[in-house]
Amino acid sequence: MYNLHLSPEQLQSRDTVREFVAQEIKPLALKAERLEPRARPLLVEALDKASQIGLRTLALPEEAGGAGADNLTCCIVTEELAVGDPDIAAVLAQTSTLAHALFDRLMTQEQCARFLPAFLAEQRYHLALAEHEPDRDTALGINYHRPQASDARFATAAVRAGDTWIINGRKDRVVGASLAALFAVRASVGEDGAGTLLVPRDTPGLGITRSETSWHHGACGALTFENCGVPAENLLTAPLFADAGRAIPLDQALNLGIGRAAYEAAFDYAQLRVQGGRPIIEHQAIGAKLAEIAIRLEVARAAIWQAAWASDHPDAFADRSLPDLPLTTIAAVFASEAIYRAVKDAAECFGAMGVMRDMPLQKYVHDARICLHAGAGNSEAKLRIAEALARYRRPAGAAALAAE
Amino acid sequence: MDFTLSNEQRAWQMTARKFAEEEIRPTSLERDEIDDPRETFDWEIIKKGSKLGFRTLAVPKEWGGHGTDFVTQALVMAELAKGDSAISKTFSQCWKWSHLIAAACSEEQKRRFLQPFLEDDTFLLGKGISEPSAGSDNRLPPDDPKAGLKLRAERHGDEWILNGEKCFIANASVGKLFFIDARTDPNAPLRQGTTMFLVPRDTPGLRIGKVFNKSGWRFYQNGEMIFENARVPHANVVGAVNGSDMKTHAAGDRTGGDLFGDLELAANALGVCDDACAMALAFARTKTQGGRPLFEQQLIQLKLNRMHLLTEALRAFVMRVAWEHDHKVRSANAGLCMNFSTDVIQEATEINLDLHAGAGVSDRRADKLVRDAIIWSHLAGDSVQRMKATRRLGK
Repeated sequence: MYNLHLSPEQLQSRDTVREFVAQEIKPLALKAERLEPRARPLLVEALDKASQIGLRTLALPEEAGGAGADNLTCCIVTEELAVGDPDIAAVLAQTSTLAHALFDRLMTQEQCARFLPAFLAEQRYHLALAEHEPDRDTALGINYHRPQASDARFATAAVRAGDTWIINGRKDRVVGASLAALFAVRASVGEDGAGTLLVPRDTPGLGITRSETSWHHGACGALTFENCGVPAENLLTAPLFADAGRAIPLDQALNLGIGRAAYEAAFDYAQLRVQGGRPIIEHQAIGAKLAEIAIRLEVARAAIWQAAWASDHPDAFADRSLPDLPLTTIAAVFASEAIYRAVKDAAECFGAMGVMRDMPLQKYVHDARICLHAGAGNSEAKLRIAEALARYRRPAGAAALAAE
Repeated sequence: MDFTLSNEQRAWQMTARKFAEEEIRPTSLERDEIDDPRETFDWEIIKKGSKLGFRTLAVPKEWGGHGTDFVTQALVMAELAKGDSAISKTFSQCWKWSHLIAAACSEEQKRRFLQPFLEDDTFLLGKGISEPSAGSDNRLPPDDPKAGLKLRAERHGDEWILNGEKCFIANASVGKLFFIDARTDPNAPLRQGTTMFLVPRDTPGLRIGKVFNKSGWRFYQNGEMIFENARVPHANVVGAVNGSDMKTHAAGDRTGGDLFGDLELAANALGVCDDACAMALAFARTKTQGGRPLFEQQLIQLKLNRMHLLTEALRAFVMRVAWEHDHKVRSANAGLCMNFSTDVIQEATEINLDLHAGAGVSDRRADKLVRDAIIWSHLAGDSVQRMKATRRLGK
């Protein structure tokens, strides 16, 4: 049963968000001061409006108070939002995905009772995941096809003291750090475990600094924990996300939105700009370039949607409808390279205006470059895919961390 | 085949290398990160470089310059660009047009303009071609008289009255003398109806508009020039009226190429590639993962291999084109080399950034080099520039 139809709900979500972005985000996002790569304050009011139409709780099940959207719908919405503003798209994707994981799967009823009402009530209540640590590289480059080195544990550690977990350590690249009300902090717990601690923003001992906007999307920041204590019941022991190779491809859906924004700008411009006596779209060189951009974006979307659909239908791996491969990682490598190239080509259609900081094209190039270098990069991703192809499995303890 | 440099060529290269390392590189990133595009410029570095000859080295010896050959010029541009691509370009922008003064200006014009240029360390040159509605049409002009630049010049006795607007003009906000292309016969196609004028900065009716805020090459000033009944004496016409494209003929290039300009971008790119390679190699040797240098990893070695092989291929091409220029060998090679340099500079700088980012390091200079390299897209490597080089092959 091969089926590429979107459901009426998915189509409606796409149209609604596309309209919202055109009305509420684009007019703000295209202002010259927002196009500066190194200092762009988050568009908080537009973010609030997006929350009001339910995008903050998009993935949260309906019975918990959300919209209960599936992963593919979340990717479609993230793409649409990123056409307008990747930072808003990143913050909302993060909050919505974490809300689903935390409130639906990981928290006990007692934990939900403590956190969910405030989350639902306050439109500015955002969630953030603190996982990456400075100076701790996953080092697959040296561990490819070898058991992981023994120091693979998180350096951030939680130690039990009575009814409290005392956390010490540092985290960086935390999306939404500058506004999140609750952090899910990955840490070493006890002697040899790993877990997730729920740390409210106002917890004493938690320090938050904003990262430079030029290297990350989504109001990123760094966290420091200095004897930061949270109640014992704030520990979640179940794995946060099962398998990174089959995760929801939201990062690339966001990237696809950047690519589309660049494509749409170039397409419009190519119809308006006249050189050589005709609109430049009527010249072969520009026509073929626009075609190449469209090809890259369409094929990237196919890979991203397949990975998103697969994350909604894990049984499709079991019944051999899908190959037993890390489809999300595969989509990420292909899409990030294809979209960066597409966005550069789109900028080239603008001539010198493609590099002006008060024009959007240079920002799209910059934004796509951030996606190209996100995480540990595509070389590492290719090694992960290669290990999956060879069915390489690490010894149990190391494998759990390698999958994160 | 002999790639040995003469003592004089070697001396210029070493002087440029030292200046780039000691004076340009330390200020490069700081200048790049200034947000106001007018403030990125630094006269001190221009004066220091000028005293070493980097502003005037292309002027022939009989006119008081250094009379360097194209090989030397390529070497110096590359060395300066290792320190900062945009600062190198600011200097070589003066060579580009001092070539033109030497080749195309009358003796009287040389006396009036070349002498002050040689004497003043802050005398920079520029040339105005691009206009808001005419970019590619100036590079590959169609026959339609309506296409191409529109700045109008009308003769009134001994003066020409200029009206119109130029944009993206190099050194607009800092230059003292500009070569301005203007339409003197609006009913003729671009090349038959355009005249080049020498326009000093203090010409009545000329004002400088905004300085463009680019994502790369931030030191390099590209600005608007607005002509409102600007009055230029007839004595400032370069060559013949309606004969703007004589510049390439006068320079001896009958293939329609921009003899110096194409080499300039390729040689500048070479310097940036050298910088990217050196950065990447040093990083791979010193940065460790799991206690071992990155350099030991196969994928890192393959990336270093790719950027070095591209850079060395570009070096061979650049030096060949410079040598061909010196020996008056005419071909499409300068254009092809410029096109090629776009591909090489962008791939090499992207690999360098990827190496750093992949190891978790946000290196600001690696990011700067990528932003500088993007400039090549519209200057040297867009489809128009590629077709232009191809059409030389077809002639």
